Amino acid sequence: MSESDKPRTVITGLGVIAPNGIGKEEFWEALEAGRSGIKPITIFDSRLFKTHLAGEVTDFDAEKFLGVKGLRNLDRSTKFLCSAAKLALEDAGLQITENNTEDIGVVTATTLSVIWNISEFGREAEQEGARFVNPAMFPGTTINAPSSQVSIRFNIKGFNTTISTSYTASLDALKYAIDFIKLGRAKVVLVCGVESLFFQTFVGFSRIEFLAGIKGKEISCPFDKRRNGIILAEGAGILVVEEEEYARKRNARIYARIPAVESFFDAYRSGKYHPYADGLKRAMTKVLKNAELTKEGIDYISAAANSVQEQDRLETYAIKEVFKDDAKGIPVSSIKSMIGEAVSASGVLQIAAAIGAITKGFIPPTINYEESDPECGLDYVPNKSREQEVKNVLINNFGPGGNNASAILCKYD
Amino acid sequence: MPRLYSVNMISAMTDNTKRVVVTGLGVVSAVGIGKERFWEAITKGKSGISEISLFDASGFKCRYGGEVKNFRPEEFIPKRRLKFLGRASQLAIVASLLALEDANLSVKSLPKIKTSVAIGTTMGERPLEELVLIWARGGLKEIDRQRIMQASVNNLSANVALYFNAQGQNYLFPTACAAGNYAIGYGFDLIRAGEIDYVLAGGSDVFSYIAFVGFQSIYAMAAEKCRPFDKNRKGMMLGEGSGMVLLERLDLALKRNADIYAEISGYGLSCDAYHATAPDSNGIARAMDKALKETGLTYHDVDYICAHGTGTPMNDKVECQAIKQFLKERSKEVPVSSIKSMLGHPMGAASAIEAIACCLAVKQDKIPPTVNFETPDPECDIDCVPNTSRKKKVNVALNNGFAFGGNNSCLVLKKIASR
Repeated sequence: MSESDKPRTVITGLGVIAPNGIGKEEFWEALEAGRSGIKPITIFDSRLFKTHLAGEVTDFDAEKFLGVKGLRNLDRSTKFLCSAAKLALEDAGLQITENNTEDIGVVTATTLSVIWNISEFGREAEQEGARFVNPAMFPGTTINAPSSQVSIRFNIKGFNTTISTSYTASLDALKYAIDFIKLGRAKVVLVCGVESLFFQTFVGFSRIEFLAGIKGKEISCPFDKRRNGIILAEGAGILVVEEEEYARKRNARIYARIPAVESFFDAYRSGKYHPYADGLKRAMTKVLKNAELTKEGIDYISAAANSVQEQDRLETYAIKEVFKDDAKGIPVSSIKSMIGEAVSASGVLQIAAAIGAITKGFIPPTINYEESDPECGLDYVPNKSREQEVKNVLINNFGPGGNNASAILCKYD
Repeated sequence: MPRLYSVNMISAMTDNTKRVVVTGLGVVSAVGIGKERFWEAITKGKSGISEISLFDASGFKCRYGGEVKNFRPEEFIPKRRLKFLGRASQLAIVASLLALEDANLSVKSLPKIKTSVAIGTTMGERPLEELVLIWARGGLKEIDRQRIMQASVNNLSANVALYFNAQGQNYLFPTACAAGNYAIGYGFDLIRAGEIDYVLAGGSDVFSYIAFVGFQSIYAMAAEKCRPFDKNRKGMMLGEGSGMVLLERLDLALKRNADIYAEISGYGLSCDAYHATAPDSNGIARAMDKALKETGLTYHDVDYICAHGTGTPMNDKVECQAIKQFLKERSKEVPVSSIKSMLGHPMGAASAIEAIACCLAVKQDKIPPTVNFETPDPECDIDCVPNTSRKKKVNVALNNGFAFGGNNSCLVLKKIASR
């Protein structure tokens, strides 16, 4: 996929439910102010655990967005996602009618959210007996349930796909959406990302000692020497991605253009990082080439860095390898310092942040940055956002296990 | 085997770098492992349904299912690697190995940067279900690191990519019971986009206790027999398995003189936007229409439809309504069969295994039957190829797959030119 391929794709709407802000304005304002959404967990009792913080979405009331009907059997992820869809469609000024519904699709990035429903269903089967489970809970045990509910609630008939590639799922979903638009299968695609916080996944991340606070201070401090793991987060983000001509015809406000998204797997070992970040380097190199941008053209890199020792070091290394002498002049920051690691929803939230950067002219900071690490020597925009014109943003997604993806967003003019 | 096409003929047609063919089939199913056993069984109408052995089903009304029998992954995968793999990954890796062998390619011969993986599933990896049940039984302390590392659904496509050193895009589609079609379809898109030469695409699902309990709870399961399109059909049978195909760029396949099963000529997806579990005939018909529109074919060209055909009263009725809407005056002359009558419903792997059946139908000009058929249903007045397979020229086969959430898919497989 390259820039010269037609049709071009643009972003025309945003819906954000993030730990540090609900709605794009609140979210952007928090990012600009360097306000964190990481707080003591209230959604379950964390006393069993060694760590107690998460990027929890608080003050969220689904009824405020969706009304009172039809919420009874929906889990937290689905409520997040449907609420974000409501915000995104309003923001894009997109009316879904019988005339356009077949040209509109949904693709959702989510990997862990379903574990809640599977667990609850499994618990009921064990504790109440297999014959006494609540049948209404069964459809929710499929990973694509939240995505399907978006289509059902908003009458979106084009297609509905879910992608579960964990840390890169958001950008993988974005690529899928763009491919579908380029192939003429859709005019508009809602690119969604969602994860939610609950006891079971927290047990998982805690047992594998991937959480901050087990081997050090409990803090999300990407690129900082003290980093020792993630702060788990939840949230939803939706991008309304649209064929450029279609958006122009309906006089939509256009936030940004997406010239390219690329992904590569770097097979190494199960659940491990590639020691030289081969896939990430390849994704960044290719996305620059296909966006027809030079290295100097990038104003800001939205990092995947999540405060894990290896992850932040490898991302720094990969940026240095790809950008060479230009690397030190490009601001690189991680919004995960403020929201935590939202796994499959991270990428969509990073893009929502990048659109804020382009629209309002600021670079979000990497907060909690105090002790520099000689292995991470780039400009991380420490602690305070920076007023600056932003035209082209590179967004990275990767994690342990082999998936890597990069995307480029350009100011629309 | 003699080639059914001429290289010059095909080359003269279109840009072969943008065309995608299936050159390898790998199947691990309830009726057999490997395409030969699979094809022999389903064309002879042999069922793979047996009493459930993977867990104690004695308390249930239905105690039968389509389990994969005699699956010995250690015969394919080195022991040191096996211990890191859940059963869903094992099924998918073995199916992929079979597909590569069938394509007459070695793992090393795949161009690693130009090989992608796309896999569909419903329940994902087995260790997740194990963890859930351990937790539900109050065994929080027994939750172990190894299982956690294997539990997340993305392990499935990652494990296959690791095994085959496939460094192109890696996609995991958890689009429930239609997932295999979503994966094969997008694999086709990736090659057409011009940067990928090979895709290992398909689906994998294990026999899931949670799904078993769930389908019983919504009264979707038959007690003993799955009889799609029959008036007395009572429901589906749960199954498991994996179907993986090797997708290859046509020019590369021709260059290495590969044996080609069929061309993927397009696919269609649609969403009912109606209900979490109930199907909708308009949505299904739209998926079939879109698939054909993309290929430039019309409903007059369709020779066979491999039905979703789960055997539930609702699915089969609504699928037949959709097929009638789609085929119009041809609705009684085009054979439509459900191999789920023999395999059970292997969920995310279903449409992948069915795509393999379509490839073989196209290649062999033979149509597998719908078994257990006794009593015609006026609401399913299609030709369901009852009980015995049929010799018939199959140039174009459609593969239907539908999923919870009202998500419909239809994949079009086409014979590659003619003699």
